[in-house]
Amino acid sequence: MSVQTERADTAAAAGIRKSDASPPGVGRDGENRGKSRGGAAVPYLLLLPALAATAVLLGWPLVKNGMLSFQNLNPRQLILHLTEWNGIDNYKEVLTGSDFWKVVGRSLVFTAVNVVLTMLLGTLIGLLLARLGKRMRLTLMLGLVLAWAMPVVAATTVYQWLFAQRFGVVNWVLDKLGWHSMADYNWFGSQLSTFSVVTLLIVWGSIPFVAINLYAATTTIPKELYEAAALDGAGAWQSFTSVTFPFLRPFLWSTTFLEVIWIFKAFTQVFAMNAGGPDRLTETLPVYAFVEGVGNQHFGMGAAISFLTILILLALTAYYLRTVLKQEEDEL
Amino acid sequence: MKRKLIAAIGIAGMMVSVAACGGDDGGSDKKAGADGYKGQTLTVWAMDGSTPPTWTKDLKAAFEKKTGAKLKFETQKWDGIQQKITTALSESTPPDVIEVGNTQTPAYAATGGLADLTDLKSEIGADWTEALNKSSVYDGKQYAAPWYFANRVVVYNKKVWADAGIKDTPKTRDEFFKDLDTIGKKTKAEPIYLPGQNWYFFDGLTIGQGADLVKKEGDKYVSNLADPKVAAAMETYKKYQSYSKAPKDKDEATPQQAEVFAKGNVGAFIGMGWEAGTAIAANKKIEKDIGYFTIPGETADKPEGVFLGGSNFAVAAGSKKQELAKEFLKMALSDKFEGALAKENGVIPNKESLQSNLSANPAAVAAAPAAAGGGTTPLIPEWAAVENAPNPIKTYMTAVLNGKSPADAAKQVESEINKRLSQTS
Amino acid sequence: MKRTASSAIRRLWPNATAIVLFVVFAFPVYWMFATAFKPTGDIIAEDPVFFPTDATFEHFKKAVDADHFWTLVGNSVTVTVLSVLLSLVIALLASFALARMRFRGRRGFIVTFMIAQMAPWEVMVIAIYMIVRDSEMLNSLVPLTIFYMVMVLPFTILTLRGYVAAVPKELEESAMVDGCTRTQAFIKVIFPLLAPGLMATSLFGFITAWNEFPMVLILNKDIEAQTLPLWLSSFQTTFGDDWGATMAAASLFAVPILILFVFLQRKAVSGLVAGAVKG
Repeated sequence: MSVQTERADTAAAAGIRKSDASPPGVGRDGENRGKSRGGAAVPYLLLLPALAATAVLLGWPLVKNGMLSFQNLNPRQLILHLTEWNGIDNYKEVLTGSDFWKVVGRSLVFTAVNVVLTMLLGTLIGLLLARLGKRMRLTLMLGLVLAWAMPVVAATTVYQWLFAQRFGVVNWVLDKLGWHSMADYNWFGSQLSTFSVVTLLIVWGSIPFVAINLYAATTTIPKELYEAAALDGAGAWQSFTSVTFPFLRPFLWSTTFLEVIWIFKAFTQVFAMNAGGPDRLTETLPVYAFVEGVGNQHFGMGAAISFLTILILLALTAYYLRTVLKQEEDEL
Repeated sequence: MKRKLIAAIGIAGMMVSVAACGGDDGGSDKKAGADGYKGQTLTVWAMDGSTPPTWTKDLKAAFEKKTGAKLKFETQKWDGIQQKITTALSESTPPDVIEVGNTQTPAYAATGGLADLTDLKSEIGADWTEALNKSSVYDGKQYAAPWYFANRVVVYNKKVWADAGIKDTPKTRDEFFKDLDTIGKKTKAEPIYLPGQNWYFFDGLTIGQGADLVKKEGDKYVSNLADPKVAAAMETYKKYQSYSKAPKDKDEATPQQAEVFAKGNVGAFIGMGWEAGTAIAANKKIEKDIGYFTIPGETADKPEGVFLGGSNFAVAAGSKKQELAKEFLKMALSDKFEGALAKENGVIPNKESLQSNLSANPAAVAAAPAAAGGGTTPLIPEWAAVENAPNPIKTYMTAVLNGKSPADAAKQVESEINKRLSQTS
Repeated sequence: MKRTASSAIRRLWPNATAIVLFVVFAFPVYWMFATAFKPTGDIIAEDPVFFPTDATFEHFKKAVDADHFWTLVGNSVTVTVLSVLLSLVIALLASFALARMRFRGRRGFIVTFMIAQMAPWEVMVIAIYMIVRDSEMLNSLVPLTIFYMVMVLPFTILTLRGYVAAVPKELEESAMVDGCTRTQAFIKVIFPLLAPGLMATSLFGFITAWNEFPMVLILNKDIEAQTLPLWLSSFQTTFGDDWGATMAAASLFAVPILILFVFLQRKAVSGLVAGAVKG
């Protein structure tokens, strides 16, 4: 599977675009535009179902969520269908508390570490796939696909089980390898070790997506480009920096964007692993919103936090979104 | 061009109509018949494991015969149960009768989602055990009916104890410690399996000490963990825990303590009587070695304090079948069915006169003596929030076991507890 | 190309790394299946049992014997397949417009879908619950289907857009020269080329819809209308994780997705590569 979100349109698309963009497509484009002039409404009609579905099924809950964030909504109000507006109290309480900002900082670091590891290792493994022989490639691909397809809930449970203090395999292996102090090590006893396990789980689950797509992208790099580079006397490293990397750059961008979103929003992996513990020290923003809102049943407060979560995510991705806005103009 | 347009509109239109038809068929139209119960269905939510098959079958038959209405039990899982109950109570057709944990009952009573059952209490509840009915009363009114209760006992491995040369079960806490010591020295077994966060056992120890977990300050409840009595209970817990290799930051469910016990390498664990069944399921051979005794207290005449876990039946205020729901309660809580449940599940019934039903169940026989001195968590609506994961008291326990002084550990979690206690409803 | 001594080493290290990586990625999945087949006594063992020598089906039996298991399977399949199909149809229309046409507001639409992708669904469940409750649509598969559909829609649109763009315009044009209308050209030429892309894109939808838990938990309390994630979580009760049964359930839960992935993803990659070569 290849993910081609924004811009990247990965290699296949880029490869083709390259070939058909070389004779500047003005003439053909003009022709195209001429044809569709009569049906100027067509693109909008094609987009209509998607826009309508998004507006109704996402827009409505978002608006509702926004409204709830200005209400005092607890089990009592929910059960008795009471609407108690309380202005910006929820936001005030969240933003003035020390918890929220700590959680924000933690979420940012957590996202950064995971995204960097995922992209770095994913890219390396993707490049490795391209170098392997057919049989080895299929073997490694199988391993990657298995990890990728694992339902998150199941994967989290398996990791808890692997890292269990008493009967977990990991501690047993470390002990056998001679690190005896790890025989009874409690992975979920501290913030750092809990995050390590969560990070391992997330990176393990995210790498396949990056690696397999990156590999698919490299297969579409025209061989002539390498030949040309070789003629210019480029070594392995130079042909990587002058051919492979520029070719993959848009793909890497869009994948990073996706991983930032997915990892920032990762909920099950963090919550199911150790419920945000110990001492709520591993709560990331979505987990914090869930514990405060749904867990403690202060739904208005949870709505306010989820709204702030969206804002932070927007801020994180703003640079990329702006680039897209600019680039899209030159495309087609 | 035209055809293209038609195709686009056609598909888009189809999407809209699919979404639109969805709106029409969701409503349920169960109507409450005005007279007679015939044709009605009473929905009862019971937790997983609360309703043994024979009991359920007999009760259904009797209920359907008497009222003519259908009885539908829906077994609920524990995962996310609070959200489920809260949202269900807000719906136009909520379940009619709900099993609610005794410690959570005050919180639900305060939401206005439970029906007032004061008249039912005067009708059938005159001889309900006082201590067990406490959790059902909120603000002077009866919001639920006590159903069944249970408390922890010591489950022990007779073979391990015999190997250590111990002949009798301990009658006091000190004797118990001495036995654990002996097992540790004379056998290869782990004397007791006690993880650091068996929080309901700890709650029992505080009840035994006469300690309160919260105190009133002005019109608000605040943490009372810093109380020396709580610290004393924690010291007892720590002493017990020192005989175990179990993780200090896990509760008895991860891994399931009964399954650890089932390996045959553990002298004892503190748990519910039915957990023995879990052990037997994991290892059939353990069955003949399992024994039970009451958790011994400081002196031989008074067993250790225990947390009385249990469940009440409540009626949803939004149910349109209030009378039928009361009919159900009268029947389910009658001596016949309450007694049968005690017998089948080995749980403590809501009145003392029915305790004779326990005699065939050695675990329940061991549990019963402690029940009289049992208690619960603080019965205030605000309490439910404190136990939400991550439970700060569990954090407190782990901190002490890892070497913090009880006072420092109490300080560490105080603000979290107070925050949860002060959350407005 | 024909180096000798050092080339053996050069070929060795990628293969060795690949094997280590294979183990790292596959082991947790293996451990899930292995645990599911082990008798409980072997699951909690001081020395882990790496190969279940006396395999048992007892955990699987327990998992499948759960109440209404087959109803839940039916519901999960229905909801997942319908939501993925719906989102594919809607996304195909939208992605065709976004990839092939030029019109005012195009960039805005793309960014809108990118932002839609960020929606934190887990923490919006209460808002969704209240909407569905007040529309009298609880305990129905319809809201689940359409919400799952919209959950995966933005990703599907943006991904398909790449695939549509990857189909060379020349093919479409030459078909039109041969007398096809644009719609015919789409159906006859582009659609077959898009098939691998559609399959690949659907994987994301499948796994999202198949996994969803917080929404179905509070929307559908009637067991007849529930889905498999609720069943999976039911093995973790207050009094403990039943590791054996949980792993058996997790295995059963994962198998359809695993099969789908192994099958579809290879097709998708080769399809993509083939498509590129043809272009």
